[in-house]
Amino acid sequence: MENPEDPPRFLTAAEAGLTGCRTCGAVNPGGAQTCYSCRSELTPPSAASLQRVWAWLAAGLIAYVPANIYPMLRTTTFGRASENTLIGGIAELFSHGSYGVAFIVFFASIVIPVAKFLAIGYLAVSVRRPATLGSHGRLVLYEVVEFIGRWSMIDVFVVAILTALVQLDFAAAVFPGIAAVSFALSVAFTMLAAQSFDPRLIWNAEKREYE
Amino acid sequence: MSTPEPAEMKVSAQRPSPWRNLSLVWLVPLAALAVSLGVAWKAYSDRGVLIRIAFDNASGVVANETTVRYRDVVIGRVEDVGFAGDLSKVSVWARIDKEIAPYLDQDAAFWVVRPEVSTRGISGLSTVLSGVYIEGTWDQEPGVAATSFEGEDGPPLVQPGRDGRRITLRTTDGSMISEGAPVLFRGVEVGRLEQPRLTVSGDSIVVDAFIDAPHDRRINSATRFWDTSGFSVSFGASGLSLDVDSIASLVAGGIEFDTVFDGGKPVGKGTVFDIHEDEAAARRTAFARSRSGGVAVAVAFDESVAGLASGAAVKLGGVKVGEVSTLNAAIQSDSDEAEVRLIAKLLLEPALMGLPPGAGEAEVLDFLEQAVDGGLRARLASAGLLSSELIVELVTLDEAAPAQLDRGAEPFPELPSAPSDLPDFTATAEGAMERISELPVEELMAQAIATLASIEDLASADSTREVPAAAVALLEDTRALVADPGTRALPAELNATVADLRGILADLQQSKAVANLSAALEQGSQAATSLAAASEELPALVSDVRDLAAKANALEAEELIRSASQLMKSADAFIGTEEARDLPPALTGALDEMRRTLEALRQGGLVDNANATMASARGAADAVAAAAEGLPALSARLERLVAQSEALIASYGARSSFNSETLDALREVKTAARAVSQLARKIERDPNSLLFGK
Repeated sequence: MENPEDPPRFLTAAEAGLTGCRTCGAVNPGGAQTCYSCRSELTPPSAASLQRVWAWLAAGLIAYVPANIYPMLRTTTFGRASENTLIGGIAELFSHGSYGVAFIVFFASIVIPVAKFLAIGYLAVSVRRPATLGSHGRLVLYEVVEFIGRWSMIDVFVVAILTALVQLDFAAAVFPGIAAVSFALSVAFTMLAAQSFDPRLIWNAEKREYE
Repeated sequence: MSTPEPAEMKVSAQRPSPWRNLSLVWLVPLAALAVSLGVAWKAYSDRGVLIRIAFDNASGVVANETTVRYRDVVIGRVEDVGFAGDLSKVSVWARIDKEIAPYLDQDAAFWVVRPEVSTRGISGLSTVLSGVYIEGTWDQEPGVAATSFEGEDGPPLVQPGRDGRRITLRTTDGSMISEGAPVLFRGVEVGRLEQPRLTVSGDSIVVDAFIDAPHDRRINSATRFWDTSGFSVSFGASGLSLDVDSIASLVAGGIEFDTVFDGGKPVGKGTVFDIHEDEAAARRTAFARSRSGGVAVAVAFDESVAGLASGAAVKLGGVKVGEVSTLNAAIQSDSDEAEVRLIAKLLLEPALMGLPPGAGEAEVLDFLEQAVDGGLRARLASAGLLSSELIVELVTLDEAAPAQLDRGAEPFPELPSAPSDLPDFTATAEGAMERISELPVEELMAQAIATLASIEDLASADSTREVPAAAVALLEDTRALVADPGTRALPAELNATVADLRGILADLQQSKAVANLSAALEQGSQAATSLAAASEELPALVSDVRDLAAKANALEAEELIRSASQLMKSADAFIGTEEARDLPPALTGALDEMRRTLEALRQGGLVDNANATMASARGAADAVAAAAEGLPALSARLERLVAQSEALIASYGARSSFNSETLDALREVKTAARAVSQLARKIERDPNSLLFGK
């Protein structure tokens, strides 16, 4: 703003004296405190919001540890009780030859959560530090993370459905383990972390790079 | 948009703490961390104690699946199954709940529960589906916790911490005792046997038994154990008795005990008892108690002690007061020639002799010394009437040779002996035995066996079974004979004969022959006199007629009837005699013969003969009739004769001899006819008389 001779390659909403609503997407005038459309509070892009991203991410990571250590399912078949952790279940599926199912479970339970942790962490870091990935690339990454977050609950759904269906008394019974709760919490926390991230910071950061 | 204001920048406070802007959201990861750490800590602190159980094999034990249970409640889980260092055992690592771990001291026992079928039933069926589990048992007192255990093969017979008493039983035959066999008291199971094992020397088998409280109080020094396994069959005056204790003890064996005399002393732990063969043997040992406490005395016998054995009873007035301990020979050379004497060492029980309790050797010897002065002597006696065993009898003899108790004799005080009256008795017994042996027992037995065999044969013989049938057949034959048309026809025949005779008589009466005859006689009476010489031939005719009548009179029917009745009488008598009953075969034979006879009679014998006789009688009668028919011609001839010799007849008197002769002949004929008619009437009245002769 102060250097008109070196104009930025793009114009941010703030520069244009506007504020975008994060709830409904409506463009409000710069000084407005509440959105004229949805009456939600308008917050300017602030680095302080990154705190919440980091907090939710940490909570998600903490919850992800017991989700991997403790048993996910407790199965009782003819009086024989067996417990399976996430990794153990995948290994068992794999050893039984169900490579497809094993891959899906592995992808949904291990790859996606870990990738989400990494992606959110990378986004949060890149706001403060120069990033190797371009702003557009990071935006795409953010949108992918936010979109894919809800699908990580597939494991929890499977456990919930199995627990509800397989209650055949002595013959077979399935009970959820602690890991199922932890995993659900972990997914929820990462989704909250993704939501807490303000993508406008990406552009602000880029702006700073040029300043 | 605005120019910087340096002044304000100077007065600005110190840099705001980063904590001031700290978001409340950070509480969430902190809470998550706290919860996670809390869960982890709880899991860690709740983690049970890892113990190692060594088994011979770990069949069915699966890591992370097999549970450890106590009273069928899961208290732990197997974590790992491995081997001991030298592969001699399987090590099962199990994690046991913390609360339980302090109770796992060295008394704890673990075993793998599997399906099992034994004499005590079927157990562990639930493990067929759910897999095996490890069951443990221990007492209810926390002890020094141990982490390494030796697994058992099966549940221990005695649960740790159970009240009771462990005793050891000893036997020489281990074939009838097995692990788990019940120990019974009056038929009630009060304990169990453990694993029988051989002693080091191998000459006996010992087995530990655990008697449950409160029945263990019954065990004392007066307790005797005996084997009740199997069943016993005894045959006595009350009949056959079969004694089966219980099916379980029949299969697995069993030990019963009882207190066989009063006053037993309490026994300590690990006391060894003998298992006796049966209850009677166990009760007999009541007399053999405390043999060690006897007072030893020696008795020298001059006579043969054959039959006296170690353990033989020493009786005082018929009551056992001790027993013979040892027998040996000693050479006594106080006189000119050495003499072999047989020394028996007796162990006398002071308590059994009526001495006060606690009486020692001195009291016994005092008593014996006094008694010997009074004539007490030891002598041999027979143990029983038929036994060749000997016992030592302490008797008081009035005319005993003076003797004393030699208290200083070595090695034991010597009790004087007296000659036994054994030989006499033996002789008597021998004589009795000889007489008994001379009894023709074998013959008697053989005879009895033969008799029984013959009775059995008789009873089982087909002929005996046929006797009633034969009798029935005889009756049938008799009935058939009676019902035989021939027999029935007999009276008719006789009737016919009689009728014929009557007819003859009627003919004789009705025919004009009589009238002619009488006329001829009347006419001829006058001429008869003249025909005296000619009529001398008539007496021959008359005598012929008389003979005929006599023949008719002496008709064989009577004799036939008599002989038939005699036959039936004798048959009846024969049937009624004891011999006939006792000898059914003979009877059967006789009856068969009778039947054959009767059949022969029926089939053309007697009746036909009788019929034939009757027929011949009738023929005779017919002949008589023919003869009578011939009489008119004779009369006509006589008439002609009379007519021709009328003049001659006149010369004869009215009472000529011819006339009287003719009348006599007619009278004879009439008598004969009456006899026949009497016979016919009798048969008519009672046809049976023909058969039975009555």
